[in-house]
Amino acid sequence: MNKLCRRVVHDPALREALAQDPEPVLRGFAPPLSKAEIEALVTGDVGTLSRAGCNHFLLHQLGRWGLFGLDLPEYAQRIRAAHSDERRRTGPEPD
Amino acid sequence: MCHIVAAFGIPHNPHFPTWVQTGHPLAQEIESKYRPLRLAFEQARPDALLYITSDHYNMFWETLPVFAIGVADSARGASDYPELDREVRLDAALAHHIHGHLLRRDFDVAMLQEVELDHTVIAPLHFLAPHADVALIPVYVNAFVRPLPSAQRCLALGRAIREAVESAPGAGRVAVAGSGSFSLEIGGPRISEDSHTGVPAPGWLDRVLGLLRTADLTRLVAETTDEQMWRAGNAGGEVLDWIVMLGMFDPRPPDYLDVQPQFGHAFASWSLDAAASS
Repeated sequence: MNKLCRRVVHDPALREALAQDPEPVLRGFAPPLSKAEIEALVTGDVGTLSRAGCNHFLLHQLGRWGLFGLDLPEYAQRIRAAHSDERRRTGPEPD
Repeated sequence: MCHIVAAFGIPHNPHFPTWVQTGHPLAQEIESKYRPLRLAFEQARPDALLYITSDHYNMFWETLPVFAIGVADSARGASDYPELDREVRLDAALAHHIHGHLLRRDFDVAMLQEVELDHTVIAPLHFLAPHADVALIPVYVNAFVRPLPSAQRCLALGRAIREAVESAPGAGRVAVAGSGSFSLEIGGPRISEDSHTGVPAPGWLDRVLGLLRTADLTRLVAETTDEQMWRAGNAGGEVLDWIVMLGMFDPRPPDYLDVQPQFGHAFASWSLDAAASS
């Protein structure tokens, strides 16, 4: 997943292909993505990918480049929703 | 010998150059906060700029050196923001000298014979030296992928780089810059409600600013623990770039220090050469 997100930044042809018809591109990606990863990607479910351990520096690039129905505000909303429990638990920064 | 004539702490938000060009609501604020740095830079008239930064998973991805230095003759960037494209001359001779000195001082710094600059260098350069033909020496610190180098080690690296500069042949004027935020989360769980970034530790940001104002480098290094950097966000390790830079001159309060709290970062400059300010 991290490799895919990084390539999104540096490979305009990959971005274009993902924008046109993502599923075949994801199924043929090397190294292979799991079925669950592909499903999360095509539905823009960055919350699931975040909780699975994706690097957030890289993951947010999907929103930056407008892939999988995301933009940066939508990306942010989904990440925040996926981690709302942790934020409640940890609370604000200690003094 | 070469000597260090100025030092800078400088943020590297990749959007700032475009925001200024397109009249974003923050354009004036951004320009006004960078302006004192540019003026100090011009006044210092450096021949070379030692630039301490942390690659954002662009050049270093499969291989992650703890420390690295670019020794190529030139480099382009920003690789991750092509709209900022610029070619930059590098000072390969001084970079080789510094690299050799660091190895002799037991810092096993990776040598980069090809360099691709990312926004962490190119975006600030847009404000610091928009037209100046200054030769860059990029130095990289791993600030993101744990385990990170300790603050103490980064301070020692800065001091060793200073020795290297001061033992270099010639009489070159060298400026140094450390780039990064003190508290910043990018794309992760601690982002703010209205952005894909956040400032998880505003108290730490204030603390670092206070320690900069009093030039208490010893305490800054002591308090910059791995746990503290993690609490400050997934980009919280970038304070290490500042600590390397601060190691390159005797501690003193900055001539200019300003902050953008909503971005978790600060702007600072130190004029270190009496001749440069006369």
